[in-house]
Amino acid sequence: MKLVGEYTFDGPREEVWKLIRDPEVLSTALPGTQSLEQVSENEYQGEMNVRVGPVGGVFMGRLTVSDEVPPESLTMTVEGKGKPGFLNGSGHVQLIAQEDGRTLMKYDGEVQIGGRLASVGQRLIDTASKSIIGQALDTLNQALKARLSAQVTGQAVEYKPPSETEFAASVAKDMAGEVFSSSRLIWIGVAVLIIIIILAIFLISSGGS
Amino acid sequence: MPKIIGERIKRNEDPRLLTGEALFVDDVSIPGMLHAAFLRSDYAHAYLRSIDTSAARERPGVVAVITAQDMGDEWQPGPPLVSPPPTVKGVVFHSRPQVPLVKDKVRHAGEAIALVVAESRYIAEDAVEDILVDLDPIDAVVDIEKALHPDAPLVHEDLESNLAAHLIQQRGDYAAARARADVVIKRKIVIDRGAAGAMENRGIVADWDAKSQHLTVWDTTQAPIPIRNGIATRLGLSESQVRVIAPFIGGGFGPKMMMHYPEEILIPWIAVKLGRPVKWIEDRHENFFATTQERTQVHEAEIALTKDGRVLGVSHNFLHDSGAYDPYGLTIPLNTQSHVMGAYDVPNYYSDLKVVFTNKTLTTPIRGAGRPQGIFVIERLLDIAAKELGIDPVEIRMRNFIHPDAFPYQREIIDQAFAPLILDSGNYKPVLEKAATMIGYDRFVKEEGPRLRAEGRHVGIGLVSFIETTGVGPYEGARITVEASGKIRVATGVGTQGQGHFTSFAQIVAEQLGVGVEDVHVSTGDTSEFHWGTGTFASRGAVVAGNAIHASALAVRYKILKLASKVLEAPEEELELEDGQVRVADIPNMSISLGELALLANPLRGAVEPGTEPGLEATAYFGPQYGAAAFGVHAMILEVDPETMMVEIKRYVVVEDCGTILNPMILEGQIHGGVAMGIGNAFYERLVFDENGQLLNASLADYLIPTASEVPRIEVGHEETRSPLNPLGTKGAGEAGTIPVPALFAQALENALPDLNLEILEMPLSPNRLFELVQEKERDK
Repeated sequence: MKLVGEYTFDGPREEVWKLIRDPEVLSTALPGTQSLEQVSENEYQGEMNVRVGPVGGVFMGRLTVSDEVPPESLTMTVEGKGKPGFLNGSGHVQLIAQEDGRTLMKYDGEVQIGGRLASVGQRLIDTASKSIIGQALDTLNQALKARLSAQVTGQAVEYKPPSETEFAASVAKDMAGEVFSSSRLIWIGVAVLIIIIILAIFLISSGGS
Repeated sequence: MPKIIGERIKRNEDPRLLTGEALFVDDVSIPGMLHAAFLRSDYAHAYLRSIDTSAARERPGVVAVITAQDMGDEWQPGPPLVSPPPTVKGVVFHSRPQVPLVKDKVRHAGEAIALVVAESRYIAEDAVEDILVDLDPIDAVVDIEKALHPDAPLVHEDLESNLAAHLIQQRGDYAAARARADVVIKRKIVIDRGAAGAMENRGIVADWDAKSQHLTVWDTTQAPIPIRNGIATRLGLSESQVRVIAPFIGGGFGPKMMMHYPEEILIPWIAVKLGRPVKWIEDRHENFFATTQERTQVHEAEIALTKDGRVLGVSHNFLHDSGAYDPYGLTIPLNTQSHVMGAYDVPNYYSDLKVVFTNKTLTTPIRGAGRPQGIFVIERLLDIAAKELGIDPVEIRMRNFIHPDAFPYQREIIDQAFAPLILDSGNYKPVLEKAATMIGYDRFVKEEGPRLRAEGRHVGIGLVSFIETTGVGPYEGARITVEASGKIRVATGVGTQGQGHFTSFAQIVAEQLGVGVEDVHVSTGDTSEFHWGTGTFASRGAVVAGNAIHASALAVRYKILKLASKVLEAPEEELELEDGQVRVADIPNMSISLGELALLANPLRGAVEPGTEPGLEATAYFGPQYGAAAFGVHAMILEVDPETMMVEIKRYVVVEDCGTILNPMILEGQIHGGVAMGIGNAFYERLVFDENGQLLNASLADYLIPTASEVPRIEVGHEETRSPLNPLGTKGAGEAGTIPVPALFAQALENALPDLNLEILEMPLSPNRLFELVQEKERDK
């Protein structure tokens, strides 16, 4: 599956780079993250506990960061495994400074998924991935704005990340337009799960180095 | 003798089925029973580096965790179900049967790696998740056209390539025929994979009684007797120590003929090891990986004709997808070869078959079993030829039918039984004419079609014909007993999965013995009742088991008449069997009931005469010389919604000639079910794999089985050309409904979209795919 897209952050490139390299912030953008640790110079390990509807379980991911050009770009390779299946992939993330002081993030990744993730979640992946990536990047952008505001005023602005439930509900709402039958919510659940995991690893990769 | 065969009699088995009193495997519950679950591979192709089962073993309630290593010497592949064809020169066949559990390499997603047995299924499933397995994935072989590429990864690394088999069959001289043809048409035709989608998934319960040293196995199999024999061999037991029961089964359709599935060996094996009953019920998700599938083939096909539409020859090179293993030999592609000449007199034929291994679930016959592919190829080629030559599609078929005087008709190739393919009998033209009349072919072509199209509606008509080789050997048997109650007990070895055997078989017996159909109790699929036979497959129940039952009924009738003649002091010729009585004709008060006769035949005192046997019972067998060939024509009118590319079937007509009809209602039910499956094969059901061998639609939310809204009312007509190969004159019909539907759909769709000059050369379609094909054509315009 291809994951290609872009997102504009309301802040300068250096700040965005710092933000996405901060595991603390990332784990709040992706509720359910249990651990996020560096195992060697360019290798990270993450563990997420995700439960959406009836599907859940611990998912372990390992990734390698390469071709890092701070604060412009990096490439990562991921391997994840858990009860719902596995994923392998690689992706390229680019940060481009805009004239108005904002930052354009471009991402281009190819992910292979297998097991139950692939066999029952396939149909909703595209929609779900767009929605989840959008939600998570919005959360990060909120965190970015909070940081920037704190730098200006000298005061920390309270930043409250969405809870796991809010996050999932928000994604489900985005997908409601595509899915009419409530009996099929289980597949949404699976798809949501997949994307959370993909994105977690995707973003974790940017956050550690 | 009152006529009972051929009557529309309601099914004996339905009250039990409809009131929930029929036994299915999952209904079996035994005190102390354990439950099994399997760890299955997420990867399609991977080396198994290590397995750590320690956490699973420690989970409370887990009784056993078994890997290939744990099985030691008892881990054995296979055995193969069908051996390679011995009768064809130069045949290549590499036998690589399935393995019970992955030992060193995973060859398809869903292949079983470990077996967990626990106090409940919940615990077993949790323990499956406790197992740590290290799989090292490698590139997968998915696309059959790439499988033989020199750089392709190898499914079986001890082989030089992924070629599983290579076989060339020919008749006459195709090259010479081609040279003198007026028209040669060549097309690439692709058929993709589907599932059988039986309502009931597979299941097994095994119960070992250590004190009596006896194993009872309930299994959703179509072949209880071979399963019994195989389990006995594998477990080192005598066949008499093993009883296999195939109770009511919610649909077979072929995959339940596969033997032995790994689970069919493992569950009995572990039950004996543990000395406790063990149950395994396949879930729907597992079914998409662990139960066999069918259909993928790619044909480069060619037809050579004269300008007046006479077929001079057909040639095709084709690839057949075997999946990861090939225990079922060449049955499917041999069936394809047997049907690529369709119902037509094709004097020259050339067929080059290559079977390839891929990293997908293995393929074994599913209702149709290679025949739908063969019929799709020939019917498509004929349609394209008809268009090119300006001949009506119905007319070109008429011109090429095998003439009724030409039977028995030698095809000059071998069939799935490795015997020369002979079509025993047939009279095709009246069947086609009846179908054309029923659907109003001429009226539609001349009036209705043009009128509706003028209104802007996209309506189309199709009409295709097919043959079905049915009723193959080797044999079946039956034992019939008249009980003291006057009721009749019939035991046969074939299993039953909804075919109506309890009624159609009863009708055969009732007619001979003069009893009510409801007084004939049929037992199928229990090796303790009858233990000789092969199984329910290849549309052979009515032919092979039906005639064995007929022979057995005749033998019992002979015994009844002989004894009654003595008791009633009347010659046998004057006796008649009616209403459960033996009567002297024209003297109604001189009679004796069958129950009384049965008692007299089994006396408690006195003597049974030397040279006779006690009881009114007989066992008989039937094995046909070769298979009987059924024939049929399907016709449909459909309408395409140009916005959504959804198809609505307006009319659907089937005219079937399967020889003597035992029960038209049951036959029509079989045809209805078959057509529904064919509609799935044509327009809904496709298993989608990605390039890594991951199945992307392994749920009934994504893999679409036709429902009541997609299946139209089906009008069925009958012709009866008796088979000369068996006393009843029956031919099989179980697969007939499915075989021609994809070919029919393609023709009718092309007819519905005449401006586009569509050529449909692939199956299954979907509204999406049809939309794409239409888009391609519109771009080309």
